[in-house]
Amino acid sequence: MDLFLQRVVDGLSQGSVYALIALGLVIIYRGTGHLNFAQGEMALFATYCVYQLGEWGLSIYISVWIGMAIGFAVGAATEVALIRPVAKKSPFAVFIVTIGLFQFLNWLDGAIWGDQLLPNSGVGSKQSQFPSLFPDADTDFVTIFGANIRIQSIGVFLLVLVVTGLLFLLFNKTRFGLAMRAVASSPDSSRLVGIKTNRVLMMSWGLAAAIGALGGIVFAGLNNSVSLGLMFTVFIYGSAAATLGGFDSPGGAVIAGLTIGVIENLVAGYAQEWVGQSMKLGVAFLVILVVLMVKPSGLFGTQKVERV
Amino acid sequence: MSMLELSGVRAGYGQVNVLQDLSLALEQGEIVVMLGANGAGKTTTMRAISGMIGRSGHIVFEGVDITRAAPDAIVQAGIAQVPQGRGTFPELSVEDNLRLGAYTRRDHDIAKDMDRWFGVFPRLMERRQQRAGSLSGGEQQMLAIARALMSRPRLLLCDEPSLGLAPLITKELFEVIQRLNAEEGVSVLLVEQNANLAMHMASRVYLLETGRIVATGSAAELSADDSIRKAYLGF
Repeated sequence: MDLFLQRVVDGLSQGSVYALIALGLVIIYRGTGHLNFAQGEMALFATYCVYQLGEWGLSIYISVWIGMAIGFAVGAATEVALIRPVAKKSPFAVFIVTIGLFQFLNWLDGAIWGDQLLPNSGVGSKQSQFPSLFPDADTDFVTIFGANIRIQSIGVFLLVLVVTGLLFLLFNKTRFGLAMRAVASSPDSSRLVGIKTNRVLMMSWGLAAAIGALGGIVFAGLNNSVSLGLMFTVFIYGSAAATLGGFDSPGGAVIAGLTIGVIENLVAGYAQEWVGQSMKLGVAFLVILVVLMVKPSGLFGTQKVERV
Repeated sequence: MSMLELSGVRAGYGQVNVLQDLSLALEQGEIVVMLGANGAGKTTTMRAISGMIGRSGHIVFEGVDITRAAPDAIVQAGIAQVPQGRGTFPELSVEDNLRLGAYTRRDHDIAKDMDRWFGVFPRLMERRQQRAGSLSGGEQQMLAIARALMSRPRLLLCDEPSLGLAPLITKELFEVIQRLNAEEGVSVLLVEQNANLAMHMASRVYLLETGRIVATGSAAELSADDSIRKAYLGF
């Protein structure tokens, strides 16, 4: 029982990162119908920046905000400079552009920070490990029902709940959120009621990338390091979460992200000899496949039903 | 000076100009009906006025040149468009649709206005929490008009509101438009295929053919002209 609880909570914190990446994907998908393949790499760039700020002596509690601001800027600039010019021509063009951006950003990170795990505990580095937002020493745990639960895991999980709550308020209680939902529903009518749709799209990309950046920073904190491959599997799990949740539902993306994290951890914990560490991804996808066969629009996605 | 004046307007999509040197005027308080065959440029005219497509020439509204203004500035200037084919936000609730109509407004009377239009369109009131896409065609058209009115326009552009509606609903819809014109003083530019019905309420009628105005006059004048009557009114 105690071990089970421990694995569930660890799964939730892992799943929180998937949820953050999935949230970013869903925000962009709702606004434009595009899948942003560079979501993970945008987050990685911001994460490297946070590492760099740490090397310069900045506290993680300050650099996390700067990292998210950098993420926002990268996302907004991407929409304006790369996506907008090609979006009207063809959805495939956007697909190719985001894949190109994926490669470019990864190359850029490598060119600046090299291909080693950072911080490397060797000479010259001020940090021994990538800073976590929450206490993560070996002694930082609480005991609940006999299970040793890491404070970091609880913190990351709560962080995602707070982010989700804030997004919910943004979407449903603010003028800008209303505009975002309007653009997602009908771009043409949005312009007719006086919404500056271009600005909404730019802000959506920025917001998505900022949330993704938070995901990258949190994940590097969980891993104690950042490397070029950090976001690869996270992006795959994040896309899976977005699909499972229903690509247009932020709440669904979060629940699905957390679910996948928990499944992954339980499978890795209980069925290790049976499926093996490398096959846990496969088990997660099997679950998704079954769900999508029963409910093609995802767990919480809206099926488009329209009367004409 | 007219409320709305178009002179020498060219507009279209990409390289193709649908409107060639189009000129028309609308006076304060009028209901002007624009008739024309498919492809004559009626919708293009509407979209040119509301700033949705590239255009040149002169479009002047209440003395202000809006030829190069962005759609949001044109809404703020006092023009609202009910586009062809509903123009609502199907995934959003009726209330949110109305709130979006008031998107450019910054005052605090938005809730009050919403209640007022719920009074005029009681069926929308009953369905205020429902998604717009789940409404019937007629209800959606009412919603599109109410949504447009939420911006407090002085000029309403209606693009074929009767499209796909049953005759009885169309009649009801036109009565609403007439009432808005008479009671609220909203001027209306109306595009219609349903010429007979629309002519009854028109102060003036324009005939549009391949991007140009070919005839104008009162409803009575135009229906007195045999060739026009045969071509456009079908009796």
